[in-house]
Amino acid sequence: MNDVAVIEVVRKSVTVDCAVEEAFRIFTAEATSWWPVGSHSLYGDTVKDVVFEEHEGGEVYELTESGEKGHWATVLAWEPPHRLVLAWEVSPSVIGTEVEIRFLPEEDGTRVELEHGGWEHVAAEAPAKRDDYADGWDFVLSTYVERV
Amino acid sequence: MITNGHPLDALSDPTRRHIFEQLKAGPRSVGDLAADLPVSRPAVSQHLRVLENVGLVTHRRNGTRHLYELDAAGVAVLRNWVDGFWTEALARFKQVAERKGESS
Repeated sequence: MNDVAVIEVVRKSVTVDCAVEEAFRIFTAEATSWWPVGSHSLYGDTVKDVVFEEHEGGEVYELTESGEKGHWATVLAWEPPHRLVLAWEVSPSVIGTEVEIRFLPEEDGTRVELEHGGWEHVAAEAPAKRDDYADGWDFVLSTYVERV
Repeated sequence: MITNGHPLDALSDPTRRHIFEQLKAGPRSVGDLAADLPVSRPAVSQHLRVLENVGLVTHRRNGTRHLYELDAAGVAVLRNWVDGFWTEALARFKQVAERKGESS
């Protein structure tokens, strides 16, 4: 596993015609209004809320109509209205990855830049870290496995 | 949620997710994996086949043992899936952000 090639960081950007404060707020506090939960969530169409806890160490999660919670990410940096870093764990396939979102003021709006990296953690995990990792995984999986 | 035969689809099963996670630490045998799970060895083999079919896992023979490990090419497929996901998500974010701007 040590010869795994470096997998390129996912880089995206989009420009919106509102101020950085508004863009940051819609991205986080109003995520439910735009997140494609039907196709991109743990519980699909039954998701009624997408929640960003607004502090470092906070959680990003989805909440279903019946109150089930699906963990997506942990907030590593919460710097409104300019920057947000998340330890992304929405799917086991992307555990250990990191998403950084920057909100940059432009003349007529805000440029939102997103980077999703850390794929090397997915492809190869050092054996020495295995125990730590297993604990982390138990936590992440608790919402799934306990119920099965 | 995801089309058949896609890596993430294969990972929708909790046991397979667990196996995938275990393999991040390095190659493991079926018996080794089964020891950590409340399922039989044949069941583990079956799960490994599914993971192998979608390209997430590969195996090699080491003497008389088969060792399973993550397939880097499969991880690249996941990365590309996430790439497509963010394209869609940000497009929707833009739509919503600009609609709000117009109404205010």
